[in-house]
Amino acid sequence: MLRKLVAVAGVSLALASAVFAQEKTGTRPGFSLEAGSAIIVLVRPEISVGEQSTGGLFEPNADWTAQAREQIAAALQARQGALGNTVQPHDEGAGGDAGVAVQYARLFGSLAQSVMEYQFFPGNRLSTKKRRNSFDWSLGADIKKTFGNTGANYALFVYTHDEYGSAGRKMLQAAGLIASAFGVPVGVTSGVHHGYAGLVDLATGDLVWLNADLAMGGDVRTPEGASRRVQQLLEGFPGRSAPGAAGGVGR
Amino acid sequence: MAAMLAGKAVAAPLPSALPPYSAAYEPRTVDERGLWMQVDEAEKQLRASNLLIADPTLGAHVRRVLCRTVGEDRCGSVRLYLLELPGFNAAMMPNGAMLVHSGLLLRTRSEAELGAVLGHEFAHFELRHSLAGFARARSATDAIAWISVLGAASGANVGASVQLLAGAFFTFSRALEKQADLLGLQYLRASPYPAGAASEVWAHLLQEQAATALERKYKPNRGRAAGFFDSHPAPADRADYLRAAAGDDPGDAAVAGHRDGMAMVRLPLLMAQVKTGDFGGTAYLIDALAAQSGWTAELLFARAELYRQRGNPRDLATAAQLYADAIRAGPAPPEAHRGLGLALLRSGDAAGGRVALAEYLRLKPDAGDARLIASLVPEDKP
Repeated sequence: MLRKLVAVAGVSLALASAVFAQEKTGTRPGFSLEAGSAIIVLVRPEISVGEQSTGGLFEPNADWTAQAREQIAAALQARQGALGNTVQPHDEGAGGDAGVAVQYARLFGSLAQSVMEYQFFPGNRLSTKKRRNSFDWSLGADIKKTFGNTGANYALFVYTHDEYGSAGRKMLQAAGLIASAFGVPVGVTSGVHHGYAGLVDLATGDLVWLNADLAMGGDVRTPEGASRRVQQLLEGFPGRSAPGAAGGVGR
Repeated sequence: MAAMLAGKAVAAPLPSALPPYSAAYEPRTVDERGLWMQVDEAEKQLRASNLLIADPTLGAHVRRVLCRTVGEDRCGSVRLYLLELPGFNAAMMPNGAMLVHSGLLLRTRSEAELGAVLGHEFAHFELRHSLAGFARARSATDAIAWISVLGAASGANVGASVQLLAGAFFTFSRALEKQADLLGLQYLRASPYPAGAASEVWAHLLQEQAATALERKYKPNRGRAAGFFDSHPAPADRADYLRAAAGDDPGDAAVAGHRDGMAMVRLPLLMAQVKTGDFGGTAYLIDALAAQSGWTAELLFARAELYRQRGNPRDLATAAQLYADAIRAGPAPPEAHRGLGLALLRSGDAAGGRVALAEYLRLKPDAGDARLIASLVPEDKP
């Protein structure tokens, strides 16, 4: 328990590796999105923005989150429009199935975590995910009952989590750096910026594309920053003009 | 007078009357608004939870008890979520959503006891304890972070300081719980229920824990002193200070009201409790219910299931007797015949077992396990 409290306080003595070796994007082999044809339903994005306290606790901020929600939605709309795709936000509760929609969002979160842990990180890859050009993950074909009723072909899931380092956290980080300079390795990170986005084929329920980044840029509270964040979230999106070689996992 | 004495014994003095309450509270500070945003999202997900008990009569019963306890002006804004979780627990979100675990409903013996726990949770909401707890956790972890970095830089051993800060954090948490206990007691005093019920809840919990410990052959925790990392005061401590502070407050605990309100769900809740695998504690709970209502078919059946689950040869013999008693007392659920059949089969009485299983299939032909049970009953030869 004591160890847990210290861990929450977010101070690690010189541990910063692992993250760098990770891949970020996966596309289902053989999948391509025909230009300008897709109707994409945007599942209510999971967005949380706040500050990181000196001790490393997340302090959620309602205003920042509301700003980010607005800016990211606008940026997504603009970017997909430029690709020729139609994005329609999912109307929660209109079909009386808000509960199921929420559960699908949670299920997608677990799936995305699994992809990140067991496929994107080569050292930890499951045996069944080791085959070349394999990207075989699915939410199940029933998903079209919840999201496909308006004629959409795909569902887009978006998650971002931002903790901006507080003044106190930055001072702690500086103190850690000074200590490190004198030969005592104290690692204090300031700020957390996670995000992932994924596209699910509503005909089959298969995850056809996923992009995840544990160190994202762009201040989501501003229009410019949100636009940059969405650009990063949609990196490697199959509908781009140069989708590259089909299939496989790329960086 | 009782309040004055109690005020001396406990840290927070009791207010003489309930504080004024303002409905439709909106979060004010940046921290509070952030906290509410988070729990609003959590509540949306809670609405989709498959643990929710949908039974409207049970929902109405619990709401009625809450409203009688804290008063109509306070209870209106509370959203109640009844969750099928067999443990003894309830929780309050800072935005006014109340979570009640089914294990609490099974354990409380009267409306007054249920009201005591619901009132305690509501007090957390009225006193904005989540926010205070968050602020305290932040300042504690802030200090620990600084001490860790500076300690590492200076080479000093900071373990003791960190421990001190952590201890202060949990002490603070226990103080909040006590505050909520005492405001909860104020609700009870102002309600038709007797305030003494609050201390009964903890006394019964201690007895149940002792029964569990006895069956598992470990030393029961007397529950007198709170441990270093305990977020709540020790149950025996709570029972004592609540009894002292309750004083003389007559009222009707409404035992029958709670029994009737639970009628539709008692059996499934008992089955969930049996499945926890806690033989001693479950036997204690069933006995306590029987002491109130007598041995009904439902309670005999639950007790039979408990023995059959433990499954020693002697338990199977006891279970078979109890199933037969339940069927005789009637009306017993069809599953009593299944249990009787399985207990007899495992005791070596194949013929008797098959008769009972066939009776189960006759009473409940479309049961989920009908095909499995049918495989144990050979087709009659023509």
